Amino acid sequence: MVERASPLGNDFRPGSYGDFANGADVAISEVPKAAIVEARAWPGKENALAGLVSSTCKLKLSALPNSGAANREGVCAFNIGPGRFLVSGAREALAGDIAQAVDEETGTVTDLSHGRTVLAIEGAKVEWVLAKLFALDFSNNAFPIHAGRATAHHDVFVQIQRRGEKRFELYVFRSFARAFAKSLRRAAQDVGYTIK
Amino acid sequence: MSPRRTAKGGLIDRARTIRFTFDGENYVGHAGDSLASALLANGVSLMGRSFKYHRPRGVFSAGVEEPNALVTILREGVREPNIPATQIELHDGLRVESQNRFPSLAWDLGALNQLGGRLIGAGFYYKTFMGPVMGPLKGTRFWMMCERAIRRAAGLGRADYEPDPSRYERMNAFCDVLVVGGGIAGLMAAEAAANTGKQVVLAEQEPYTGGFARWSGEIIGGEPADTWAAAMTARLAKLDNVRLLTRTAVWGYYDSNTLAALERVNDHLARTPKGHARQRHWTIRADQVVLATGALERPIVFCGNDRPGIMLAGAVRRYVAEFGVLPGSKTVIFTNNDSAYETAAVIRRAGGHVAAIVDVRPQIGDEAAARATEAGVVALTGHAIVGTRGGKALSGAVVQAFDAATGSLSGEARPIDCDSIAVSGGWQPLIHLASQAGAKPVWRAEKQAFLPPEPTQRWVGAGAFLGTFGTRQALSSGRDAGLKSVGKRSSRAKLPETPATELDLTPAPVLEIRGKGKAFVDLQHDVTADDVRLAHREGFVSVEHLKRYTTLGMATDQGKTSNVPGLAIMADARGIAIPEAGTTRFRPPFSPVAIGALAAERYGELKPERFTPMHDWHSERGAEMTPAGLWHRPLAYANAGETVDQAYIRETAAVRRSVGIVDVSTLGKIAVKGPDAAGLLDRVYTNTFSTLKVGKARYGLMLREDGLAFDDGTTWRLGETDFLMTTTTANAGPVMQHLEYCLDVLWPDLRVHLTSVTDQWAGAAIAGPKARAVLERCVSGTGVDNGTLPFMGIVHGEIDGAPVMICRLSFSGELAYEVYCGAGHGLHVWEALIEAGEPFAMTPYGMEALGALRIEKGHVTGAEIDGRTTARDLYLDWMLSKKKPFIGSGLMDRPALIDKNRARLVGVVSLDGQRLGGGAHLVERGNRDEPGESIGHVTAYCYSPALEKYIGLALVKGGKTRHGTRAFQSDPLRKRFGQVEIVSHHFFDPNGERMHG
Repeated sequence: MVERASPLGNDFRPGSYGDFANGADVAISEVPKAAIVEARAWPGKENALAGLVSSTCKLKLSALPNSGAANREGVCAFNIGPGRFLVSGAREALAGDIAQAVDEETGTVTDLSHGRTVLAIEGAKVEWVLAKLFALDFSNNAFPIHAGRATAHHDVFVQIQRRGEKRFELYVFRSFARAFAKSLRRAAQDVGYTIK
Repeated sequence: MSPRRTAKGGLIDRARTIRFTFDGENYVGHAGDSLASALLANGVSLMGRSFKYHRPRGVFSAGVEEPNALVTILREGVREPNIPATQIELHDGLRVESQNRFPSLAWDLGALNQLGGRLIGAGFYYKTFMGPVMGPLKGTRFWMMCERAIRRAAGLGRADYEPDPSRYERMNAFCDVLVVGGGIAGLMAAEAAANTGKQVVLAEQEPYTGGFARWSGEIIGGEPADTWAAAMTARLAKLDNVRLLTRTAVWGYYDSNTLAALERVNDHLARTPKGHARQRHWTIRADQVVLATGALERPIVFCGNDRPGIMLAGAVRRYVAEFGVLPGSKTVIFTNNDSAYETAAVIRRAGGHVAAIVDVRPQIGDEAAARATEAGVVALTGHAIVGTRGGKALSGAVVQAFDAATGSLSGEARPIDCDSIAVSGGWQPLIHLASQAGAKPVWRAEKQAFLPPEPTQRWVGAGAFLGTFGTRQALSSGRDAGLKSVGKRSSRAKLPETPATELDLTPAPVLEIRGKGKAFVDLQHDVTADDVRLAHREGFVSVEHLKRYTTLGMATDQGKTSNVPGLAIMADARGIAIPEAGTTRFRPPFSPVAIGALAAERYGELKPERFTPMHDWHSERGAEMTPAGLWHRPLAYANAGETVDQAYIRETAAVRRSVGIVDVSTLGKIAVKGPDAAGLLDRVYTNTFSTLKVGKARYGLMLREDGLAFDDGTTWRLGETDFLMTTTTANAGPVMQHLEYCLDVLWPDLRVHLTSVTDQWAGAAIAGPKARAVLERCVSGTGVDNGTLPFMGIVHGEIDGAPVMICRLSFSGELAYEVYCGAGHGLHVWEALIEAGEPFAMTPYGMEALGALRIEKGHVTGAEIDGRTTARDLYLDWMLSKKKPFIGSGLMDRPALIDKNRARLVGVVSLDGQRLGGGAHLVERGNRDEPGESIGHVTAYCYSPALEKYIGLALVKGGKTRHGTRAFQSDPLRKRFGQVEIVSHHFFDPNGERMHG
């Protein structure tokens, strides 16, 4: 098995950065995801696709806008558009499993395992940092755990899933990952951050 | 002790001394001072020079409305001009300069402009400099000659040419209720809304909440108002659902209850802490807004009303009460309402001296009279100030009997010695945001003020914003507004007790005292009452024309103190009422916003960067990188001492001789999937894809709907319903948009899904006679021989353990392959390929060599598919299917597009050894100075190592029919002119033997 290289470059090194004299309020890390796929339903087949993804991945995924789900094995999925789901997990075979499960009458599955980079940001000031980059309401009420959003920052598409009370995972196009990480780090400088 | 500082009182911290400089002079102030209060305390009354006449000016207000005391801050190596001294919080090390003066503030040569008098009245530059004919200098030529001098003489501060090193941020916020204004009404509204559990943001432009309550000396709820405000603020600060933003000016009210605000995060510090923003721009999306923005005092316009020492009465009160500063030793109060009487009393209480109270009204109430008595004077009712004395400082006022009903003066004018005049023309609610939100303000004659319009968005007003002045009203309307904003009814619960005041703030309808001399309406832009009347005489009577002709209400203060008096004067000139004269709709920003704050993180290149998986490898090998859209791509890998030209020629030759490798990860890649995928491709490509076999690729051409060429690339059939489309790097986005448009709008019934997979795949093209040999050394799991992998065939295998997909195709004219792998394996596979190529001296090559190879071969790209060429122009007729319609087929045969004389693709060879130039014209006449008509232009050129000549591709009228003829390249920009031969664009291996070998 060939290890995948990170697109984030040498600058993305573990350590504390920014104004961390009183402690770092957020932590940023790259999340290794062996499998990332986009599953997409034909019109009218959204619920069927959500059901197929749910049964294959052992999730409770709904076709509702912005909805999402995750299981204890770390497989997670969220809605990124009408009938579109981004599904990811640590097991490489997951992509093939989903592709196998989704029949041609329901929709299509596209492997993006190498095409997207996932950055996690977590900590007490996570909403503060993200609010600098996105015109989204990150409060728990508006953006509950497992919910997802598809948005953009500075011309870079970003798909976001809330994975915890104070943790978000951000999916970006791989080629933009280094530039986006730079923006994210800059946004976190005033609260102090660590790279894990 | 500072000459104007009171012995006690104020909210400043007298124990903390702060040192600062103004025009290089050292001064001291105290924590809590503004720059204006500190300068006043030091006896400095001259703080600036006026815009046009360079008249000496002092501070006129104590807040955001300041028109006069604009200064330049020198901070962290940058000049920031036009900041009101009233808005600058004093801090150690503050360095400030006055502006619009030469050589000094006290002795300013620009003051000679005052001698121009009427010659430089409103619109003088239109009349004087753009109209008259004076010899050769007529019209705009004369203006252009004078413009520089005029601009230099008239103006505000000077901005810096150096980049601003400050850090700015943008921030987004969402809330149920945004309360704008942190005075008494705002605090009450915020608490009422917050107590219902709603998310509340409270924005206050001053450093502290409390507003008027901080320094009014009133009692609220049995305690001093400032104590009450501080306690209220502390309670709000403890609530999780409340965000308090001080030093934050809400400056724009946009659609959908979206408001813009600027937070001056660290402007009050000598140095911005590392990693922190100097200013933060907020975009606040609020379900409901409470506008508790208060009111601003207006002046009365009178002759000589701009001398240093004349300021708004409310400002004088604030300087005394908040900052412990007496603006003058002898103050004359001039008013048309009761509020200035409190100022008189406050001055007296602080130990100051009130020389007189001049009131235009014939009589006053008991409460006002009591204040006058407390101040130690008897009010001169039925009087007005008709003039002032002094130079760089005020030395006296001239008063005369005045009839407010007729506006007439009578009796003898008499002087009163004073060094300060506190003037009040009544109060104007700050309705800017409500106006921005979408409706015109409403004039209320009984209040002599514009009041907020009916809401057109979801806002509620509170406090003085509504035109109801007084602490009791602020408490009541604030709470009501807070409750209303969350859908609750007014509460009957008891409000904090506060003593009632009988002072009558309703002003007499007097905003100007006419007389001889300059009476300024707009202090910042030097617009006088006579200028307004001049505009009227010359026909600029509409309020919008008035504004533009005189510049009334423009500049940094946006006419906060001048709009209403200006309108009153115009209405009087027209003989109509103020509402009939109309008012402009206020527009953002309410107060100045630094461009840097709007740009925030968008600085430098203003675009994100895109990197291929092999980017660092290229950089480490010394590749010179070049931008290709957002991507960074190697231009060439120059060896030590080599130029880019030498490098690409070497790289090109190496490919022809043996083998080269180039990073093609940037090519656009789109997954086209679904039962109708082949059908879609047949419709968008000019050639047929439904017949393409699985495991094969085909070159495709797309046209636009107008029949012109759009993009080209190969599309690979990976499965029956699964295609991988490649596009040019530059057109990846537009092609994706085009396809999405086709599916969404033209053929929504097609079951096809598109996904950008550009980033999923890393790509390397291996080209050259030894390309197959390189692959044979490293590919496993599949053969790469001609039988297994024929031209345009696709195989799947592995390279050093990483899965790869290989397609045999060529844009160089050589035996060539594109090797794709997962982007995360890109570097791994690239390095394995490099290693496998070592026995053949495989050479990495960049964009320049890539271009040279394709020019030699005659392949078109974006330079030829330039939005003006057709498939036929490019000799791609063979790709136009006659068996099916496709996008563009309906319009591609229009007469103009099949004209024989159209510019078509040819090759050109430099005959004199000169380099060709992209964009150079081709002409038939060999006269460098008179080259005649262009017959076409060079689209791309290179030095061809294969031909050992400079060659190029060109679009030339007649195309092939000119093969074998000669022409000249005319490139005056690059100073090139030389003979070329027009030839076939297939320079190298025209029969494709090397490619198919």
